[in-house]
Amino acid sequence: MRKFLAVVKHEYKKIVLKWTFLIGTLLFPFIAAMFAVVPAIIFSIKGEATRIVVLDRTNKIAPRLKANLSPERIAERAEKAAKESVKNLNASQEEKLKSGSEQLGESFIFADYDAGAKSIEQIRGELNGKITAAEIDAYLIVPPDFDNADAKFELFSRKAGDFIANDTLKDALNEAVRSQRLADANISEARLKELSRNVEFVARQVDEKGNEKDSDGLFFASLIIGMMIYITLAIYGNMIMGAVVEEKETRIAEILFSSAKPFELMMGKLVGVGLAGLTQLAIWIISALVLVGIGMAQLSASGVAVSIPNITPLMVIYFFIFFLLGFFIYASIFALIGSMVTSMQEGGQFAFPPVMILLIGFYFSFAVIRDPNSTLSFWISIAPFFAPITMPVRILAEMPPFWQILLAILINGAAITGLVWLASRVYRVGMLMYGKRATIPEVWKWIRQK
Amino acid sequence: MSEQNVTLRVENVTKRFGDFAAVEDLSFDVKAGRVFGFLGPNGAGKTTTIRMIVGITAPDEGKIELFGKDFTGDLQNRIGYLPEERGLYKKMKIIDQLRYFAALKNVPQGEADKRIDFWLERMNLGEWKRKKTTDLSKGMQQKVQFISTVLHNPDLLILDEPFSGLDPINVEFLIDVISEFKTQDKTIIFSTHLMETAERLCSDILLINKSRKVVAGTLREVKQSYGKNLIALRADGGEKVLEDKTLIAKIVEHADEKELVLAENADAQILLKTLIENGASISKFEQIEPSLNDIFIERINETNA
Repeated sequence: MRKFLAVVKHEYKKIVLKWTFLIGTLLFPFIAAMFAVVPAIIFSIKGEATRIVVLDRTNKIAPRLKANLSPERIAERAEKAAKESVKNLNASQEEKLKSGSEQLGESFIFADYDAGAKSIEQIRGELNGKITAAEIDAYLIVPPDFDNADAKFELFSRKAGDFIANDTLKDALNEAVRSQRLADANISEARLKELSRNVEFVARQVDEKGNEKDSDGLFFASLIIGMMIYITLAIYGNMIMGAVVEEKETRIAEILFSSAKPFELMMGKLVGVGLAGLTQLAIWIISALVLVGIGMAQLSASGVAVSIPNITPLMVIYFFIFFLLGFFIYASIFALIGSMVTSMQEGGQFAFPPVMILLIGFYFSFAVIRDPNSTLSFWISIAPFFAPITMPVRILAEMPPFWQILLAILINGAAITGLVWLASRVYRVGMLMYGKRATIPEVWKWIRQK
Repeated sequence: MSEQNVTLRVENVTKRFGDFAAVEDLSFDVKAGRVFGFLGPNGAGKTTTIRMIVGITAPDEGKIELFGKDFTGDLQNRIGYLPEERGLYKKMKIIDQLRYFAALKNVPQGEADKRIDFWLERMNLGEWKRKKTTDLSKGMQQKVQFISTVLHNPDLLILDEPFSGLDPINVEFLIDVISEFKTQDKTIIFSTHLMETAERLCSDILLINKSRKVVAGTLREVKQSYGKNLIALRADGGEKVLEDKTLIAKIVEHADEKELVLAENADAQILLKTLIENGASISKFEQIEPSLNDIFIERINETNA
């Protein structure tokens, strides 16, 4: 027991007292935040106001466009978009960019230009001249037959690549044309406003007890939890393999085996590395809970309606239990692989299947989030190999009955017992076999060797 | 412990890997306070035997007794093993590695720290204590490895090729340390290919080949049993006598003398007499013991045949 503890301490300190652990612990949330926030920040840098000439001989579209692009309207739109985006944390990057651009309130200054009776070529020549002289930035030509299906609105711009400004302009233009068309169809302005109002859409989840709750926050939280477990299991599994391969490669195994039982050594390694993983996760989770708490409180205070995902201490306990189950399943597989191979590169090839299983488990968590009580979700969240990721996700999305959680723990506990036994059989022999990678029949022989 | 205490008893031990017997029916005793030379060519079964002694693997048949008891895991704490294939954690500080290896032998940390300082100073490695393995030269790593073998003050020291990679000064130094252990009545099993070193250090010899025992005994006994048919000769004349196949089986020419292997049933005294009678002027005529190297080569070739 004393030797086992010595191994645990050694493995734990080896990971936790390294700079990389500190950096990784700090950096991971930072990188995750970067992915979510940086594009929004970059695109929130306002461009300069676009000076634009609108050439509209019909004089029907230009006034509406000007109204749509007035500073008040733009501010209104921006605020609405901001509220949407808070709810929409799981939107794709493209959607985020788009909503980002809507929040911007890109501004336009309308320059006057008297077209008179000049021909279109003449006008374009003059306006191009103005652009070159930097008097204006762009001009828009509204076709006289704008109601035609293939009428083209043409924008000539000094900065045609400014898609944020273009996007704002396009939206405003669309709205202007649509309302003009409706006006042409004899629908009053007031009626028009009424008709084009957006619906309010709020998804509320009803749990088994009939309580309602908002679903947005939960979706995001479950996804993060699933991802955290997936990444931590993959990283720490690899660490186990690295540690095993190092001891084999450097022949330290020979000294270790002459000092302690192989089972003690392997279990000490699994427990030590597992505790290191737990430490990192605990740091992340506690700081995430604190940060999310603060952030949500601030958002609510500023009037944005968000629901705080209802995470109970019991959920956190379950979360750690399932992390540990997952850790021992994958760590023993990685330890087994490490003692079969002669280098990390070789190990990488063998590690592909377990990493694949892990990834599939992560993808299954999407199905679980969408419908936590489906038959698929039930089986997937108790299945060995998958449950460590899918069950915590399910617990967050919708607390399953206790017996299902217990069943998942028992099934995966049994899987661990089997895998640890298997891994220790292979470890005890494989660690002393140098020179070449073991074949599957050889490994089978090692397992059966007394 | 007296000279007669048996530290290690190997009794009819066999170890098989599939159909191949790496060690077959091997028996020997190692006594306390002796340096035991465990010799044999590559693949003879030395490493397999040592691994069974230190408890890395178990014998298929036969038994191993250490310090008069059947082997148990606890006895590992009394053994210091320096494997031939050595290794340290590459990116770990020397002090941390040594602490870990000591902890695995159940040495309390305070005690371990004292001994680590003592040994690092003794090996002139004091200033490398907080450096990583990769910062050390090969020879230094070798010495660190040796320290890890003796930190728990073992009663049985098993050294597999301890001198490889060391410069002559460090070889002498290590020999001093080994002799010191010997005077403390500790037992040293010493496995090597270097017959000269073995001859110098070992009080007992075990030679194995092809999984089996070939020669065993004290160094003295072994050499004496082979020491009757070799003669070192420096002489002028008498060439005719040397060609007589009934007297001499083989001649090995050295720079300024000849090494003669007597023919079967030939007598050294008769050879000397014949040489003088044939007018040879003799400046050296010495009956010599064969070197361990000679015995090694001869016996290995015999058992291979």
